[in-house]
Amino acid sequence: MPLVNPPVISTDFHSLATKVTPFKRAIHKRSACSRMAKALILVAASATAHAEGFSPNFSLILDGHYKSADSALSEYEKGFGLGHIELGVSAAIDDLFYGKFTGVVHDHDGETEFETEEAFIQTLALPGGFSVRAGRFLSDIGYLNGQHAHTDSFVERPAAYRAMLGSHYYDDGVRLSYVMPTDTFWTIGTEAFSGEKMQAADLTDPKSVGVYTAFTKIGGDFNEEHSWQLGLSYLRNDNGASISSHEHEDDEDHEHEEDEGHNHSHNAKFTGKNTYIADAVWKWAPDGNFKYRSLTLTGEYLQTQDLSNTIKGNEKNKGFYLSSVYKMTPQWAVGARYGEFKGYEAHEDHFDEKKLQETELMVSWSHSHFSTVRLQYTHQAGNGFENTNNNIVTLQYVVSLGAHDAHTF
Amino acid sequence: MRTLSKLSLAFALAFPVSSHGALIVFACEPEWAALSEELATDAKVYTATTARQDPHHIQARPGLISKMRKADIVVCSGAELETGWLPVLQMKSANPKVQTGDKGLFFAADQVETIGKLEKVDPTMGDVHPEGNPHLHLDPYRMQKIALALAERMAELDPGNRDEYLANAKKFSELWETNIKRWEKEAAPLKGKNLVTYHSNFDYLLEWLGVNVVGDLEPKPGLPPSTRHLASLLKLSKKTSIDAIVYASYQDKKGADWLSQKAGLPATELPMTVGGSEQSKDLISLYDDLIQKLLKVTGSPENS
Repeated sequence: MPLVNPPVISTDFHSLATKVTPFKRAIHKRSACSRMAKALILVAASATAHAEGFSPNFSLILDGHYKSADSALSEYEKGFGLGHIELGVSAAIDDLFYGKFTGVVHDHDGETEFETEEAFIQTLALPGGFSVRAGRFLSDIGYLNGQHAHTDSFVERPAAYRAMLGSHYYDDGVRLSYVMPTDTFWTIGTEAFSGEKMQAADLTDPKSVGVYTAFTKIGGDFNEEHSWQLGLSYLRNDNGASISSHEHEDDEDHEHEEDEGHNHSHNAKFTGKNTYIADAVWKWAPDGNFKYRSLTLTGEYLQTQDLSNTIKGNEKNKGFYLSSVYKMTPQWAVGARYGEFKGYEAHEDHFDEKKLQETELMVSWSHSHFSTVRLQYTHQAGNGFENTNNNIVTLQYVVSLGAHDAHTF
Repeated sequence: MRTLSKLSLAFALAFPVSSHGALIVFACEPEWAALSEELATDAKVYTATTARQDPHHIQARPGLISKMRKADIVVCSGAELETGWLPVLQMKSANPKVQTGDKGLFFAADQVETIGKLEKVDPTMGDVHPEGNPHLHLDPYRMQKIALALAERMAELDPGNRDEYLANAKKFSELWETNIKRWEKEAAPLKGKNLVTYHSNFDYLLEWLGVNVVGDLEPKPGLPPSTRHLASLLKLSKKTSIDAIVYASYQDKKGADWLSQKAGLPATELPMTVGGSEQSKDLISLYDDLIQKLLKVTGSPENS
């Protein structure tokens, strides 16, 4: 078995990004390039390994768009842009472990950033029903969070996900899950994470293990044509409650803003101590044959309590979405999604309320498993957010080279 | 050797196959469920798909995860037919008996040579399988080999019932052989007929029966019939003699109907697998029905 070095790709961009001078920007860019070069070496190494009988799955996902206007809580800016360009390598390591690496290239404010989104191992041979995943991976809370963004039917995650989970919450940690030996699908799981992406912005002394989750999902088939799944998740974030106060307002807030302005918006902006998520999915296909026609209804509700250690009040961040996607033919699908988010940002000794309502309509055309072109209309309303926009039109393509995405439920 | 058998005995005692000794089988497609039922008469067999579902496009539904969670053996076509959903089920079901490389994972395509193997595959070719055509349950000779291999595998997993599995395989094989002779006689008039098919679903069957495939409703494997491609088939029908158009029970018949009307050719739906038609209740009646339907649609005199 040839040696494949572990990815030497650091994601530690926060320290570099705090104060951006032209000089630092140049170094930043160079180091991003060298990271990409290292990632390419990794791929080359794996490809060589491929020749020697080791056959991992490779995938490269290209994602680009044109957007007519800026919008609130979005990672995508007005004009032409790239989304998440993903490079994935996965394979069974041996009979006990499976491993997966996903590197992501973002373009943000003219900066190219390379990030490791997934680098985990998972057990394959624990006694029936148990599995452990360790490394960096997507948390299995909620319905959408555990799924890859490229399998979504809309350009971006719902507003509540963007605000409360940083679009999709992935982190360094460990998961233990168990599938019950019941006829109806029932799984329970728990995770522990570093929690850096879910940290309250002004925290000074965060705990090193900040986030714990617990989730359960049950599901099954009503008959050949109808399937369902319900989920409940809880996320405890020890570093989630803000400690806003007067003293550090001037300096640090300013620095923080710059930091945030520069970094990609993967960190959750609306955090708190206790988050609850309920999700429901129902799918239908004539004869259960998903090739030609299918209907998918999805809904999730998210609520975060205990937003601040220093500001009194029992305000809660909350949001939900309802989405419906109808695949009319093997190649055409239409979808509608409505979502709301209401959150509170700590400011000195009080909270600022922010609201966003979002209606999205999309039509997509998939030539094959490997390519999708999507046209989406987004209508935003609300207050407190920058760039809240009534009318946004986005044209997006998502294509995959190599292994295509699995047909997850 | 002795320690090994002792060890496997200890293992068998520690992890009994199931409470009452019968195997729990998760079959990816109905043909493998039917075969498993022939070989392991007491087994609890669960079928993940029906003849009305395209096995390339199955969703890794919660219901399937819970079924795989309890399986002693997963029996599938292989050759990447189930690549879009089986690996997800394996991982999510966290069943250590049926992971890749385990004895509890049985791929029919691994037991026989496949046809249509490709040296080089690139995505512009559509949904092709480099490991060859996975729809191999419609070649009776390959089926016979697969049945024996599956019985052996079941015996390995459940040594207590070894004799039963092997005896059933022998019985199946003998009955199958008499049927092969009958089918070959019945299907003799089909030899040399020209068909337009939909995807490579029936390649094994047609190759066995000496039927030619002169066109495919799909412009490329996995892509739906396009107007332009159908028009080219219409043109082809003027130059080449085509006897009929056939498509599988899970496929959309619009393209076949269009061509049938325009070119004045008969078209028929064939059961892809067991349960794909009223008549196809098990493997033998599936083959019976396929041959009868082919004879009928090509207007061949029945030879019975």
